[in-house]
Amino acid sequence: MKKKLLAILLAATMVLGLTACAKGGSAKKVDTKEHVKITYMFTGTKPEGAAMDKFQDMNKKLNEILTEKCNAELEFYWIGWTDYLTVYNSNIAEMNGNIDLIGTASDWLDAWPNAKKGGFLELSEDMLKTYAPKTWASVSKEHWDLCKYDGHIYLMPEDNYAQWTNHGYIYRNDWAKKAGLTNGVHSWEDMTTYFKYVTANKDALGIKIAWDSDGTHNVQMASGWVASHSKFVPIDGICTAALWGGTKDDLYKIVTPAYTDTQMMVDFAKMMKEWDQMGVWKTDVLNNTTSTNRDDYRVGLVAAEQHHTQTWTDLCSKSPSNTIYDDPNAESGFFYFGEETDNVVALSITHGAMAVSAASKHPERALMVYDLLRNDPECYKLINYGIEGVSYALDSNGMRITPEGYDSSTDNVGGATSWWWGRNDDLELKDATRNWTAIEDLYKRYDKIKIDYPYGQFIPDVEVNGVGSKIKNCNQVFGDYMKQIAYGKYTGSAEDIVKEMQAKLKEAGIEDVTAELQKQFDALYKK
Amino acid sequence: MAKTKDLDMMSSSAKVKLGASDMIVRGFGYFITTFYALACIFPFLIILGSSFSSEKSFNANGVQLIPKEFSTQAYEMVIKGGLIWKSYILTILLTLIGTGIGLSIIAMTGYALQRKDFPFRNPISFYIYFTSLFSAGLAPYYLLMTQTYKLKDSYLAVLLPLLMSPWLIILMKNFVKSIPHEITESGKIDGAGDMKIFTALILPMLKPALATIGLFLALGYWNEWYQTSLFLSSRVDVKPLQYMLYETVNMTDALKNTVAGQYVVITDIPSNTVKMATAMLATGPIVLLYPFVQKYFISGITVGAVKG
Repeated sequence: MKKKLLAILLAATMVLGLTACAKGGSAKKVDTKEHVKITYMFTGTKPEGAAMDKFQDMNKKLNEILTEKCNAELEFYWIGWTDYLTVYNSNIAEMNGNIDLIGTASDWLDAWPNAKKGGFLELSEDMLKTYAPKTWASVSKEHWDLCKYDGHIYLMPEDNYAQWTNHGYIYRNDWAKKAGLTNGVHSWEDMTTYFKYVTANKDALGIKIAWDSDGTHNVQMASGWVASHSKFVPIDGICTAALWGGTKDDLYKIVTPAYTDTQMMVDFAKMMKEWDQMGVWKTDVLNNTTSTNRDDYRVGLVAAEQHHTQTWTDLCSKSPSNTIYDDPNAESGFFYFGEETDNVVALSITHGAMAVSAASKHPERALMVYDLLRNDPECYKLINYGIEGVSYALDSNGMRITPEGYDSSTDNVGGATSWWWGRNDDLELKDATRNWTAIEDLYKRYDKIKIDYPYGQFIPDVEVNGVGSKIKNCNQVFGDYMKQIAYGKYTGSAEDIVKEMQAKLKEAGIEDVTAELQKQFDALYKK
Repeated sequence: MAKTKDLDMMSSSAKVKLGASDMIVRGFGYFITTFYALACIFPFLIILGSSFSSEKSFNANGVQLIPKEFSTQAYEMVIKGGLIWKSYILTILLTLIGTGIGLSIIAMTGYALQRKDFPFRNPISFYIYFTSLFSAGLAPYYLLMTQTYKLKDSYLAVLLPLLMSPWLIILMKNFVKSIPHEITESGKIDGAGDMKIFTALILPMLKPALATIGLFLALGYWNEWYQTSLFLSSRVDVKPLQYMLYETVNMTDALKNTVAGQYVVITDIPSNTVKMATAMLATGPIVLLYPFVQKYFISGITVGAVKG
């Protein structure tokens, strides 16, 4: 009986398929008779003048392809950086049907609040399979699950693009070798050795200071220390201090090592005192508002920079602005926080994602256009890099270089399209100026130890029980104390200052917050 | 005539009395004022100097009063886009039109509100005052402007909201109050209509107030970026000047630090000297407005004096 049914079904599909084919096309042929304009809204700055002309050349070419493949054209709709979040949310709330595709992000562009409020269209599996088949196939089930709110998919994640935003220290490897670290810096203790050497040989190395920190790295350094000394996985986006999170052993039990692990924080305070006394940073570091450390690093005026991997990929590469590499021995290493404990969390896959406006008049076509932009090599190159020969060229290794006569102020089309919601490593053209041997080496190490960011869907409800203000208080207290602790500017013993901080955090309600977040966690993850 | 005589007497009597201690006080005063003035203008000069510096020298040596390597490259970069001149014209037009219309309706409102024979003047005053206490918030405002008034992508969305503000109306009302009611009455007795009284009698006496409030309005329009950021989308090419400037700075900050730093190659970010040059161009003409209206500020002090 079952077999018979199956046979009938099979036959039916074949017949259906045949009739569809007769009309010309695949099994589920989409009606694309009407030529439509798909508007893509995203954050970025609209080019002007000659840059606009170059941009339009690209747009015209892109539209020719899109018209041919799905009878649609793409209009770009920029949200300027001025007060961008307000303007972005207002435009989504307008719901006038003028916008189709919306570049979004769960961590910096209110993706979930907008999904919650009904600004984004719910994307059914059927829709995705039919209109964005390549995207559907390339994203794993686990990743689709991370794009769900209340059981429905709202986002198409940029999950096949390597970008590492885990923080650490960028340092001069050539100088580290001179400091006796033949293998480079791989721990906070190594970093101390390195700083000891560069501060002692400041004049010989030609630097003005080891690290011209502007006094705002307090929380980042503390998080780095915690990452390096525990299995803590912080929840992003609750507060800048990222006080709360799980551990790699138990992702869904909320802890705060910076609050509970006294000895760890005392050790941190002691080491930072040592750094301060060595003169790693300026004595007035906490009021140092004029620092240009990153640019100073490029020209060899400082010995270290604290930022994330992606910044390092720029700083470690030979480029016109990085004049340190005029010296052939110069080399930049990266000590990433968590290296000692292999504690590295990948960037959330919804750090960049595409949504469809709930008011879109042509959601199907919008999905088709997105599928092409993300997966079709021709479209992908156009929207990401511009026209070959004008905005980019390829060298003999197939790497991306700037063509002759290239003017970055007008020809950089990729800078105008902000395609950060569907980049695809399979189609990326590698920038030839980047130091790929070093970069890929590090990426491989990351891939071995990383875990996916687990909390992409968690939107804490901070309205209940005054949790929001308690979070703010804790953030404030932690930040204030870390200014003293992370820059070694406290008086008295390390034990005392840590104890004082813990008492103040308790007063600020850290335990209440933990309990409330745990409750919300359980509601979300213990279903 | 009497006025100048008074002034002469004042200055001559001061001259007579000027002793050693006065000289010291005065010298000290001049010194402090000069020093303070220099301190105020110094940052401006630094921006000016740096805007003429080459990018390389700027990055190596930082801001400079006198550029070590002179270059007009930054200005060429800013002007090359071509849009800045259109923005200039737009901003100047908005400022002129906005200030003109704004001043006239604010002056009329202020005058009408203080006329004792104007019915419902207290409820209306309160209504105006009330809006300065409560507002519905951003989202309703945005939807009102875009969906009810359909002002999205229209320059009216920038022009209209800035025309009047409760506090400027109250300011004007108080200015007008200082003009004695008898002047209006005398006009009436001579058979002038309300409009005639307003234009021929009241307005000339309001010059200081017009200058003050006009300056507020003009500055408001000149510095306007907020309504632009909300209501003029990327479909509008020419945006007011300050928005363009603000956007340059914000883009740099956003790309460098907060949002997408990881994506951006350093050459995409506008260079420091370009920012300086833009700042210079954006400050430009409005600075010239101050000395022009200054004399009215000073005469504003004596406006209360009515002689028979």
